[in-house]
Formats: sequence, C-alpha cells, structure tokens
Amino acid sequence: MDINKLKKQWQDLSTAVEGIDYSVSGHDYNVSLERDKVRDFAALMLEEGFYLVDLMAVHVTPAIEVVYQFAHFEARCRVLARAFVDDNSEMPTISDIYQGANWHERETRDFHGVVFVDHPYLYPLILAEEDVDLKPLLKDEANLKDVDAVRRKPPEPAPEPKPEVKPEVKPEAKPEAAKSQEQS
Amino acid sequence: MEIFYSLLPELIRIVIAAICGAVIVFGNALVMGYAERKLAGHIMFRPGPMEVGPHGIYQLVIDGLKLMGKQLVIPKNADTPLFMLAPLIAFAPVFVPLLVIPFSDKIQGFDLDVGLLLILAFASINVLAILIGGWSSNNKYSLFGAIRSVAQNVAYEIPMLISLLAIIFMTNTFSLKEIAAAQSPVWFVVIQPLAFLIYIVAMVAETNRAPFDLPEAESELTAGFHTEYSGMSFSLFVLGEYANMFIVCSVATVFFLGGDSGIPLPYFEYTGIIWFLLKVYLLMFFLIWIRWTYPRTRFDQLMNFCWKYLIPFSLVNLLITVVMVKLL
Amino acid sequence: MAMDVEILEDPKHHRYVLNMGPQHPSTHGVLRVLLELEGEYAMELLPVLGYGHRCHEKIAEHKPVKSFMPNTARMDYLGALIYNHGYAQLLERAAGIEVPERVEYIRVITSELNRIQSHLLWYGAYLLDLGAFTPIMYAFDDREHILDILEDVTGSRLTYCYFRVGGVSKDIDDKFVTSTRAFVKRLRSRFPMYEDLVNGNVILQNRLNDVGELTPHTCARYGITGPLLRGTGVAYDMRRAEPYSIYSQFDFEIPTGTKGDCMASFMVRFHELEQSLRIIEQALDGLPEGPIMTPKVPKKLKIPAGDYNSSVEAPRGELSYYLVSDGSDVPYRLKVRTPSYSNLSVVPEMCQGMLLSDVVSAMGALDLVIPEIDR
Repeated sequence: MDINKLKKQWQDLSTAVEGIDYSVSGHDYNVSLERDKVRDFAALMLEEGFYLVDLMAVHVTPAIEVVYQFAHFEARCRVLARAFVDDNSEMPTISDIYQGANWHERETRDFHGVVFVDHPYLYPLILAEEDVDLKPLLKDEANLKDVDAVRRKPPEPAPEPKPEVKPEVKPEAKPEAAKSQEQS
Repeated sequence: MEIFYSLLPELIRIVIAAICGAVIVFGNALVMGYAERKLAGHIMFRPGPMEVGPHGIYQLVIDGLKLMGKQLVIPKNADTPLFMLAPLIAFAPVFVPLLVIPFSDKIQGFDLDVGLLLILAFASINVLAILIGGWSSNNKYSLFGAIRSVAQNVAYEIPMLISLLAIIFMTNTFSLKEIAAAQSPVWFVVIQPLAFLIYIVAMVAETNRAPFDLPEAESELTAGFHTEYSGMSFSLFVLGEYANMFIVCSVATVFFLGGDSGIPLPYFEYTGIIWFLLKVYLLMFFLIWIRWTYPRTRFDQLMNFCWKYLIPFSLVNLLITVVMVKLL
Repeated sequence: MAMDVEILEDPKHHRYVLNMGPQHPSTHGVLRVLLELEGEYAMELLPVLGYGHRCHEKIAEHKPVKSFMPNTARMDYLGALIYNHGYAQLLERAAGIEVPERVEYIRVITSELNRIQSHLLWYGAYLLDLGAFTPIMYAFDDREHILDILEDVTGSRLTYCYFRVGGVSKDIDDKFVTSTRAFVKRLRSRFPMYEDLVNGNVILQNRLNDVGELTPHTCARYGITGPLLRGTGVAYDMRRAEPYSIYSQFDFEIPTGTKGDCMASFMVRFHELEQSLRIIEQALDGLPEGPIMTPKVPKKLKIPAGDYNSSVEAPRGELSYYLVSDGSDVPYRLKVRTPSYSNLSVVPEMCQGMLLSDVVSAMGALDLVIPEIDR
C-alpha cells in the first residue's frame, strides 16, 4: 500500500481529502465523495486491500450523510469516506463490492430511510417489517443540525484547512482519469 | 386339558420370565438413570443430584412420578395414532430379548436355538419406533432425527451381525447359553479382539448414544426424533433406550466376556449372575464414560466409518475365522 | 416474517425451509436463521436479526455522553469491560483527557481478564454445540474464578460498568493482585488438560478441519475481524495495529492460523488465552502507584464539535465507536460497530452447501453474541 499514490487516487475520485491527527479523532483520513463516485471509491479500496469497518448515516442538513469507514489489515490507515444522499434519499449500493455492506445498508435503511439503489434485498434487518417507515434515527426539526455544526473546527496549526465540504461544489472529477489510475 | 397340563410349566415359566423382565427393565432404568447422572456429574467435577435422599438416590423415583404426572402434549398437526403408538413400539419389544439372555447357568427364560436371531430381530424394531415417532410428529427436526436414525441403525446392524457371526462359526450354535459355555478356558475377546472392537463401536451406534447420538443431536436437531414428546411417552423412549443398552451389553458379555464365568462362588449356577451383571454394568459404565467425554461425529463421517472401515474389517475378520476354523 | 419464507421456498427444487431459532440450542441467543435445505445440505441461509434490539444508538442521542457507559456493557455481555474501555477511550480522546498510568494498567488487567472469561465461555459453549458436554463445566470452573475476582473490584459479575471517563470507579487492592496471580497460575496449569481432553481429539479434528474456510479477501469483503481473521493468517489485532491504552508496552504474540477454517480460529482463540495471561502478568509486575481518576474531568462533559472514532480489540474482533458531536454534552450520533455483526454477515456465503451439522460448527466458530448484533 503506497499511501501517496492512494491519496492521489482518492483526490481524483473525491471533492476533498483531508488528513487528520489520529490521536485527536481516531482516524487518519477524511474523504468527501460525490454520490456517483462512491462505488468507484469502494472498488478502489477493495483493490488496495482495505476492509469495510462500518457504514452508517448521520442526519444533518442539507441531506443525510452516509459515512463509510475503511481500515487496512497491514498498516494503520483508517479512512472515513462521506457522501450525501440525493433528494429521494437514494444512494448507490456498494453491497456487490463489499458484501459486508449488505447488512449495514439494510440497517441504515431501517434507521434513516436511506434507499440503496440496486441493493439485492433491502428488507428490514434490525427493525421488524411493520416498522418499515419508522426511521427512528431521523432527527426532528428542533434537533436537526447543519453539517457545519458537526464538523471539526480547524485546529490552530491546521495541516489541511478544509473543514467544510458542500456536495454542490466541484462536480468536475474525471472518471477516465480515475479509471486509468485504478488500473495502474 | 392334557395339553394344558403339559404346557402349564412352560406358561408359568413365561409369566415368571415376563415379570423378571419387567423388573430388569425398570430396575435397570432406575439404576442407569441414577448412575448416568451421577457419573456425568463426577466426570464434570460436580456432584450430580444431591437433594432428594442421601446423595440424591431417590431423584429418579421423583423424576418418574413427575413424568407420569405430566400432560401428554400432542402437536396439532401430528398424526395422533402413530404419535401415540411410537413410544409403545419402542418400549414393548425390549422384554423379548431378555427372555433368552443367560444370566447364569440356571437363570435364563428360554434357551432357544436361535437366541441371537431373536435378539437381533427384536432390537431392529426400535428403528421402526423412531421412524414412526419422528414422522408422526410432523416436525422437521423430528423427521431429520428419524431419517438419520434409520440410515444409521440399518448400516450399523451389518458390522454388528458380521462380527458376531465370527463367534457363531467358532461355536456352531446360535444358542446364547452354549456360546457362553464355550468360553470356559479363554474368553472370545482374546481370540477375536477385532470382532470385539467392531461390536463395541456398532453397539454404541446401535443404541444411539454419544458420540453417535445423531438422531437426537440436541445442538443440531433440538432433540431429534423425540422433540415433540413429553411426559410418559418421552420416558418410554428413555426406558427403551436403557433397556436396549442393557441388551447389547449383555450380548457383548455373552459373546466376548465369557457370560457368567468368573471366580466360582457357592451355588455358582445361580450366583454366576453376579459376574454377568458386573460385566454388563462395566460395559454400561464405558458407554456413559465415552458419552460424556467425546464430541459428536458428523453424519457423513459416521456412515463412512461404517461402510468404509467397519464392514470391510468385519468381513475380513469373518473370512479369517472361517479359514482358521476349517484348518484347525 | 412470512415474506422471508416465501422468498426461500421453491417447490420446483424439492427444497424446504428449516427454521432455526430464535429458540434453538446452538444459536446462543435470539438469532433466527432460515435454512433452505436439500436433504441435509443447506443451500441458502437467511439470518433474521433484531429480536434483541434495544435502541442503544437512539438512547445515546438522548442522554449525556458520560451516562451512556452502562449501556455499552449491555451490548456485549461477555466483553463488557472491553466495551467500557472503547467508550471511555472515545470520550477521553474526544475531550482530550489524559489518563493516569495506574488506570491504564488496571484497565488492561481487567480487560484481559474479561477477554479470557469470554474465550472460556466460548470454548465450553462451542464444544457443547459439537456435542461434548463436559468441557463447558471445566471452562466454567475456571471462568468462575475470573467472575469472583472481577466482582470484588467492580461490584458486578457480568455487565460491568467499571471504567469512567478519565479513570476507573474503584482502586484494586492487594487481594486483587494475589488472586489474579493465583488465577494466572491455575489457568496455565489447566491448559495441558484442555489439550489432552479436547484439542487433540480425533472426532473434534474431523468436525472442524476444512469446515467454514475463509480467506483474507473474504474477510476484507465482509469486514471480518478478530480470531476468524487471524485464523486465515493475517496477524491483525487492534492491540498491535492501532495500539491503544498501554498495549504497546507489553510483549505478547498474536496467534495466527493458516487455513482459515474452524480449527484455525479454534486454535487461535485457545492460544489467545495464553497471550492474555502473559499481558496480565506483565501488567501486574509493572503496576505503578498513583491516582485512579483524572482530577479535572468536568461533571458535564462537552465534546468539541467533530467526529471521533475509537477502535479496540473485543473478544470477537474489532469494536469501533463512532461519535459525531455538535459541541454539546449529548452525542449527535453514536454508532457502534460491533464485530459479531460483520462476522455473522458472512454466514450466507460461508455456509452455502454445507451439512446442517457443519452449519452449527461454523456458526459456533463465529462466537456470536446476539445482543451486540441487535444492539
């Protein structure tokens, strides 16, 4: 695993790659993704030997944020990738790349109502089938926070001062470049 | 009337033998039930039943009363007549083999010429009971247990019979008494060690005891064929199992361990039963011991073991025996 | 859940559905698995979860961070202290709290005792699944000593809530040290007995060898961690990979297997007992004097805005807490990544085409604790 090469590949796929101090946050990199790059990113991570630690959703404005956590068996490299769902609460599935995501996505569908498109069996897992529309972890109006409110405030000697990421910015990531990078 | 009077001694003999058989079946179940729980306890570093009576010796009596008092639950979709019949089929035939077992020189119900065949024939009925019980419960786990049981018992009857046939060829008789008597200088376990080993393994499988307890493997099939049985119908299966254990161990004693032979006591034609029972219960202890020591085998391994090892080896053993008998 | 059955039931293939659980002797809790069987071969498996769901993540969003500590113990009732450890570390990391050295030693000792306790229970219960009745009593005999030791210091026997943010609730005394040393000696002396009685048994070897084989790639795809992963030959242990607490100071090995089958993970778990004993011994030798609580932990602990992660090695694999904070003393979102959840998700693939008996041994090798899956 060549971390510098990987970072370059991540940058091609994502809107922002941010290195974080592990002793403060417990992970090493924050990668902000566009919705349609999530699958490419997951495929890249699998190829590089990362395993899927976790997949979860956080309800913020402007949209629910889905957080993917990856780590590597050989070296400490804990990566958080985030992407916002679209207006229909939809998100492409990665359960055909990381089969372990299957259940995490079903659980996220239970708790937040995120619909993972092309998921093979998006059926309630933790909740009972009559609670399909319960979505218990969605925040009500009073408690719902903006995404900036839950982002880390930049520390004084900021290594990469990019604390806020909006999904609207930077739609121009090159898929061809990403593909070729992956193959190499 | 003449015929009646001529048959009267035989009839009285039958009645006495049946009563003795019942005493053996129930007494054996009490002893074994207690011994199994106590031994299992001590094998596991715990005392076993201790509350009812000194060292819990009345535990089994209380358990029997409890089981008799329990409701017989019949599942809604069960085949009720067969469901009720199965425990009886499991229990009833165990009396017959007891009639021909020579406990000592003079203590024997009948000395039949075909004693062994009688025992094997009636022992096979147990499979039918398990199959009926498992089928009629209308429960998939029970059905699994029943199917496993049939495959297992049918397979293991073959090496069992072949290993005993080696002895039959040597003694030229099916009569258990004569076979026991034929071992006066040396027990057949010395002459036929391989047959003895094969018989022991087949015996464990035939009585559905661990490590071959696949029909009732509780971690896989909850309780196997008797999942749906409760109260007395369940305990009939257990009584049948203990009686079958007694029978197969008796056969092993007669065929390999010299029957009632041992250090002569006064009135040995009667007191030989002490040695006989001692040997039988040593074998039973062995059964309990391995049950609480070994994990369970897998079904395909069990069948492979029978068809690939036990049957060929027992056939080879039989062949060698036949040749040796012919030559000597 | 009638729908599940309809999906699996296919009359064309003469297959039928066997419902295993939620009350089944070898699912170890309220797990339900639907098996589509052909003969005795399981062609499809569908685990059904959620019978023990207690909304821990929802509860976390409604109370101050510090008062969630008891809930962590209820997720994995066998590794409660390690769950405490992960959560305490999460908050300490997020709030920037330094922990006294003695506290770290106490945490390591008690966590490792807890790990041994969990492994011993698994050892007995797994062999019970395989039809051996006796080893569970031997394992419980040993486990009882740990429960007694931990009861003396924590006050409870199973669902501990011993660690605090910045410390532990009660100091350990000489009695703890002597009884722990006695226990270490005792368990060491019992290993040869376990090896003779169980590990070398030919029936056990036949039951476990080549059953439920995993590869490192499968583990990566499913996120499998812990002894199952180490059984495939990957020496990945959070105590080494991301050394937390003071684990980097101790000398211990990470047992690994090669084949990734049930036997490999069985032996990995068994050897981990010895490694945990080594850690405990070293920690007892180096136990420093000092306070058991950081003095400056505020009553109302406010977590700065941002997201925090804390991963520790639970008995079953990697446990991760992920906290999103908006700057208040109540978490905005707390996600617990429990190892059994990911480990169980491999079952439909791993157990495909297996005999029913092998499904039981493969699922037993996962060492499932259902409450941590359902949360």
